[in-house]
Amino acid sequence: MTKNRHQTPQSAYIHIPFCEHRCAYCNFTLIANRQDLVPAFLEAIDRELQTLGQAMPIQTLFLGGGTPTYLSESELNQLFDSLDRWLPRQPHHETSVEANPNDISPAKLQLLTNRQVNRLSLGIQSFDNTKLRALDRSHTSDQCFASVQLTREWLDNVAVDLIFAAPGETQSTWQRDLETAVKLGVQHLSTYGLTFERGTRFWSDLQKQRIHRSEEDAELSMYRAAIATLTSAGFEHYEVSNFAMPGHRCRHNEVYWQGKTYFAFGPGAARFVDGQRETNHRSTTTYLKRMQQGSSPTAESETLADEDYARERLVFGLRRLEGIQFEDFHRDTGYSLESIGGAALRRYLQSGWLEISQDTIRLTRQGLFISDALWPDLLVAENANECAT
Amino acid sequence: MTHAACKHIRNFSIVAHIDHGKSTLADRLLEATGTITQREMKEQILDDMELERERGITIKARTVAMRYRRGKDEFELNLIDTPGHVDFHYEVSRALTCCEGALLLADAFQGVEAQTVANGYAAMEHDLTIIPVINKIDLSHARVDEVIEEMEQSLAIDPDEVVKVSAKTGIGAKELLDAIVDRVPPPTGDPDAELQAMVFDSHYDKFRGTIMYVRVMNGTVNKGDKVRLMRAGTNHDCIELGQFRPLRTPCEKLYAGQVGYLICNIKSIDDVHIGDTVCLAKSADLVKPLPGYKAPKRMVYCGLFPSDGQDFEELRDALGKLSINDPSFEFEPESSEALGFGFRCGFLGLLHMEIVQQRLEQESDVDLVQTAPNVTYEIVTNNGETLEIHRPQEVPDSGQIQEFRQPIVRVNLVQPTEYIGAVMKLCQDRRGTLVRTEYLSSTRAMLTYELPLAEVIYDLHDKLKSATRGYGTMDYEVIGYRPGDLVRMDILVNGKRVDALSIICNRHDADRRGRAVCKKLKSEIDRHMFEVAVQAAIGSRIIARETVPAMRKNVTAKCYGGDISRKKKLWAKQKEGKKRMKSIGQVDIPQKAFMAVLDTGEEK
Repeated sequence: MTKNRHQTPQSAYIHIPFCEHRCAYCNFTLIANRQDLVPAFLEAIDRELQTLGQAMPIQTLFLGGGTPTYLSESELNQLFDSLDRWLPRQPHHETSVEANPNDISPAKLQLLTNRQVNRLSLGIQSFDNTKLRALDRSHTSDQCFASVQLTREWLDNVAVDLIFAAPGETQSTWQRDLETAVKLGVQHLSTYGLTFERGTRFWSDLQKQRIHRSEEDAELSMYRAAIATLTSAGFEHYEVSNFAMPGHRCRHNEVYWQGKTYFAFGPGAARFVDGQRETNHRSTTTYLKRMQQGSSPTAESETLADEDYARERLVFGLRRLEGIQFEDFHRDTGYSLESIGGAALRRYLQSGWLEISQDTIRLTRQGLFISDALWPDLLVAENANECAT
Repeated sequence: MTHAACKHIRNFSIVAHIDHGKSTLADRLLEATGTITQREMKEQILDDMELERERGITIKARTVAMRYRRGKDEFELNLIDTPGHVDFHYEVSRALTCCEGALLLADAFQGVEAQTVANGYAAMEHDLTIIPVINKIDLSHARVDEVIEEMEQSLAIDPDEVVKVSAKTGIGAKELLDAIVDRVPPPTGDPDAELQAMVFDSHYDKFRGTIMYVRVMNGTVNKGDKVRLMRAGTNHDCIELGQFRPLRTPCEKLYAGQVGYLICNIKSIDDVHIGDTVCLAKSADLVKPLPGYKAPKRMVYCGLFPSDGQDFEELRDALGKLSINDPSFEFEPESSEALGFGFRCGFLGLLHMEIVQQRLEQESDVDLVQTAPNVTYEIVTNNGETLEIHRPQEVPDSGQIQEFRQPIVRVNLVQPTEYIGAVMKLCQDRRGTLVRTEYLSSTRAMLTYELPLAEVIYDLHDKLKSATRGYGTMDYEVIGYRPGDLVRMDILVNGKRVDALSIICNRHDADRRGRAVCKKLKSEIDRHMFEVAVQAAIGSRIIARETVPAMRKNVTAKCYGGDISRKKKLWAKQKEGKKRMKSIGQVDIPQKAFMAVLDTGEEK
């Protein structure tokens, strides 16, 4: 009945924890400027891949980070040798690599495309020098333009990330960023409102009031501007923060949102295999040590009960703007949408944050803007008391 | 007439303002009499409860019997320690009833303070022989002569009678012991008469049951006697009796004039009332109860609710356990639309309330929501009935109220003269009536005001301290109920009245307080997915309004494979946090918002 989450994964994520520099807003699993650890890391990844026991043909592969393109050409080749052996790509696969604008060169693009990479995701963040500096990025506006243009010459599936609500950012800076991305002809765009995370320099700057959060209304209008500009340019707004030209959605990310299974390798990487969510240890050095000792890299693990899985499926599925088909939900989880959503779902429908048309439930525009406030009640069962009323 | 057996007994207590060195002086007396050696001396042995240690005050009265040898005479000196705070006024008065003398202690630098005066008066009202004592004379900035003058001015103390000591170094301890022996009269009372013993305190021991602290007024009580608690009308076997030296030391009998303890296998403290009389069961008909018993009067009430409704029973157990050792605190179940099931708790005063709460927090794991404290009001209805109002929700419609009364206190405020103006303004702003101004010396004065208790308990002490740079002290005593122009102010959240947020206040303050409370609540309530209106109302008239605007944007961008577990945890935590808030309609109100009604709207 609930086969979805027990299917053999058709997807894999590889985490490359290296960057030349940690940006002030970033709390990802990475270590900056530790070239010396790369050989050990490549060995560790290979060891972790060996735990598969046999080659697992896959549909989507995603190399994220960190900055995968931080690796040298020979290192990248070594990595792809391991990947080709353990995670051979099936026909019509999607193989994505995240890249920094200042790492892009014809030689690297040549190598990546030779190794079956068919989608590149560029961490542009902005095309504006002042904003790039405010965000503590190590590349310039010129490098952004050049990298997109160069990548377009090699690949017809180019994605870029853009951050909005950076410290001091104005509406017009953001509008220019959006229009530039459209003009450059990228196929995919992810837009993120800047968040302040514990453990980053921005977090302490915020506490000390050296920088300030954007006003809620300003952030909202930037988000609205993204939706308006990109959809009118022909992009589909297919997930809360993701836009794609038709046929260019990120298939790998769709796996996450649709509750399908996936492998993951590398420090801090999270996998979902056989109904179990596991996260590797976040510390790169611990990860390396564990792989050298032959012990498990897993730091956290959670086996999902049927109902938990259904709740996840509901929440992460609703982040896709197409919504969830009742029938699909029942097929994947064994539960009816109504029984899982309960009173909260009814309340949200009534308030106009969710809507049902035909056989699908989805976020309304109003619901989209405040969607994070909806998830807690859908994700955690309401207590018995509330159910009774 | 003093019976021969009593000639060598002296019963006394020490009264003082907080921090004037009462406990340290008691320690020195214990040492000087050899009751306890220096090695055994834990600092301030009489304040043995941790909480008292923390706050530096004595809450429960302690008692200790000392042997003092002078020449060939041996004296039994019974020190009956008294609680140092106004909330425990009744306990103080019961303890003083058991003494013939009192050491009136003043700090050689701080001088006469509000509680020095109040406690001095209390001792005089009980006809005790007063031995004025000035402590800390070894301080370099001691101003002994001025303090003697202040004592003379405020309490008519004879300057020649003042004993000068340093409790820290022990200077004057011997002289003080001699003064006690020479000046405090031995107790009267007849060891051969029928037994009458005053219960002036009690505590609960989990192995021995209730331990009663008694002063035998007449007669003799022997181990094995069947005794009766006259108020409760219950009989008990006296299985152990003795004195505190300072640990419990059993003996065979206690006779008239002596102070000690009785253990009678009493498992419930409810039978033991402070101020009750113990007599022998067989002669109960022949004996009258000693005068002066009063049921403890709770002046301050607040609601305590478990923030998780599941913890109701746990909270009940915790409150029950506390009340075993503190019968002056009462609680009864109440239910609030906003907060669910909890307890209405009555306290002797605000300090008492704080102490009980701190103990609850220390001794149980229950997470509490406390509603703003209020005093006990009286309402005379149109049909002549007098209602005691312990919570604002009980106030009937204004049409049914003939008279709305509130407790009035007489407050003594002692401060350096330069702050008189500031203190008078403070009291006048709170609708105080000046009774008198007394100059204690050329630099210090005492103001006496009559003020509504409600105006005193919230923050008068803090305000006094800041208005006088910490030099002002105050003490108050309830003098009765008087009619006031009082109203009940309600708070509405999205049109729904939140019962736990109602307050009673003076009609003329209602607008200001209403605005302040609404503003405070606005800042405490998170943005919701819809607009939230916070209003203050008297009856059906809205007097203030604030609006919490609706949430406009709340959407996280990234949510990929690695984010799923993290986000799930975050949202589950948010949900948990929401559960701990109280939902009114669909509005989640954080717990600390329930104290928002204390915001008076005064300029800070």
